[in-house]
Amino acid sequence: MEIDVQPQFITVTELNRLVKSELENCPYLNSIWVKGEIFNLTYHSSGHIYFTLKDDNAAVSAVFFRNYNKNMKFRLEDGMSVLVLGGLTVFEKRGSYQLNAVSVKPEGAGELQKRIEQLKKKLTAEGVFDPARKRPLPFLPKRLGIVTSPTGAALHDIIKVALRRYPNIEIVLAPAKVQGDDAPVSIVRAIKELNRPQWRIDVIIAGRGGGSFEDLMPFNEEAVVMAYYNSLVPIISAVGHQVDHPLCDDAADAYAPTPSAAAELAVPVKSDLEDEIKYITGRINTSLAASLDRVKARIDSALSRRVFRDPGEIINMREMAVSDLEFRMASSMKGLISAHKERLLRVPDICMLERHILMNKKHAFVLQLQAVEKLSPMAILKRGYTVVTGKDKKIIKSVEKIKAGDRVEIRFHDGFAAAEIDSVTKG
Amino acid sequence: MEKGKKASPKQTFEEALKELEEIAAKLEAGELGLDDSIQEFEKATRLAAFCHSKLEEAERRIEILQKGGGEISAREVAVKSGTGEIEEDEEMQGSLL
Repeated sequence: MEIDVQPQFITVTELNRLVKSELENCPYLNSIWVKGEIFNLTYHSSGHIYFTLKDDNAAVSAVFFRNYNKNMKFRLEDGMSVLVLGGLTVFEKRGSYQLNAVSVKPEGAGELQKRIEQLKKKLTAEGVFDPARKRPLPFLPKRLGIVTSPTGAALHDIIKVALRRYPNIEIVLAPAKVQGDDAPVSIVRAIKELNRPQWRIDVIIAGRGGGSFEDLMPFNEEAVVMAYYNSLVPIISAVGHQVDHPLCDDAADAYAPTPSAAAELAVPVKSDLEDEIKYITGRINTSLAASLDRVKARIDSALSRRVFRDPGEIINMREMAVSDLEFRMASSMKGLISAHKERLLRVPDICMLERHILMNKKHAFVLQLQAVEKLSPMAILKRGYTVVTGKDKKIIKSVEKIKAGDRVEIRFHDGFAAAEIDSVTKG
Repeated sequence: MEKGKKASPKQTFEEALKELEEIAAKLEAGELGLDDSIQEFEKATRLAAFCHSKLEEAERRIEILQKGGGEISAREVAVKSGTGEIEEDEEMQGSLL
């Protein structure tokens, strides 16, 4: 038995409208970064870019409208791993949805950056970037070598600036591929070629115009950096860039942010040099003329002196000098005599002095005599000492020499006394 | 001309210009005798001529290196001096070393 109750339903149109409304108004899905690989890429003539973004298990269509992609610094390629910022749009008619991209970044950029940093560290340790090994650029290069793309604007810019500054300079281009996987080999080959002596290159500019991070990658490759480093001819790195220097900049002898600036570094302004020569030779002419004038003035003034006008004058002058000498001799003799006289007058004073010295000497003698007297035995007896002598009149110096009952004589400073020894005690 | 006082063949433009500048300074100091001054002046004249000849040595020429039969040779090209553009771009396509 059938139950004839219709379930509640909505139409397909309503369903798709509902889904569209839900998805397009979902704040999370409105603006989201999605990672995937590019597939089925189409650069449409309208300027829009269509592709499928996929990973191993799923795929979603994407569109990158012209308004959003016109400032892109690099070109998308099939198989490229990217991060896409966008929001979802639902097509009601087909019941499908797609990603509307507003920005696309290469997903590998972080990895590349890391690789560059590692290479930079390694080459720094090896001394490749040592500023001390940078050579000065030649002052007046006759032959300028260029390594760049033969079709790029960089070449025109360098040639234009070089010829403007130095109209008769000689330029040798070693054409190289400056973008893509085979660029490094090409750049290295071109730098090496210009180093061959047969081309007689004085200075090399190697580089390219500005581009995306990926475009400039060849100039971060080790082989290219080492080609700059190994160039025997002084080399200027000229890679157009806004933010990060490519590594070859630091390995080169000099670098410039654009090819035109590199040409200005490499090539002097010929008319400036001509002006400088003119200025210096002008100074030389002026000062030579001045020294000729000085010599002429000296001759003139010499000729105008009185000696040349009146030779008798010189005799008068000499006579005056002789009489002056005579006068000076006489007065110095006088001086000598009066000095001697003064010395003679000082003689009595000298006698007085000698007498005084004698008096002093006599006084000293008396003092010494007194000192000697103090040492005589009589002087000692005066101070209370006595001398004992025996029968033989010899001085008794020890108790050993006497015994009880001996008669002795005691001598004082002013007389004698006779005595008999009672007892003798040692020590 | 005395030997050795001549600008030597190995002398560079820069050296000659520097020497010229030194002579100017010496003469301006006014300490040289007349004979020496004249000698320096003659040297300066030779140096200035040398500098001018160095400036004119290059022959305004644009060459492109190209590979042909394993050899690399130089081919002279014409250039529009206003823009620096080479006047035969087609031939240059694919002529990388």
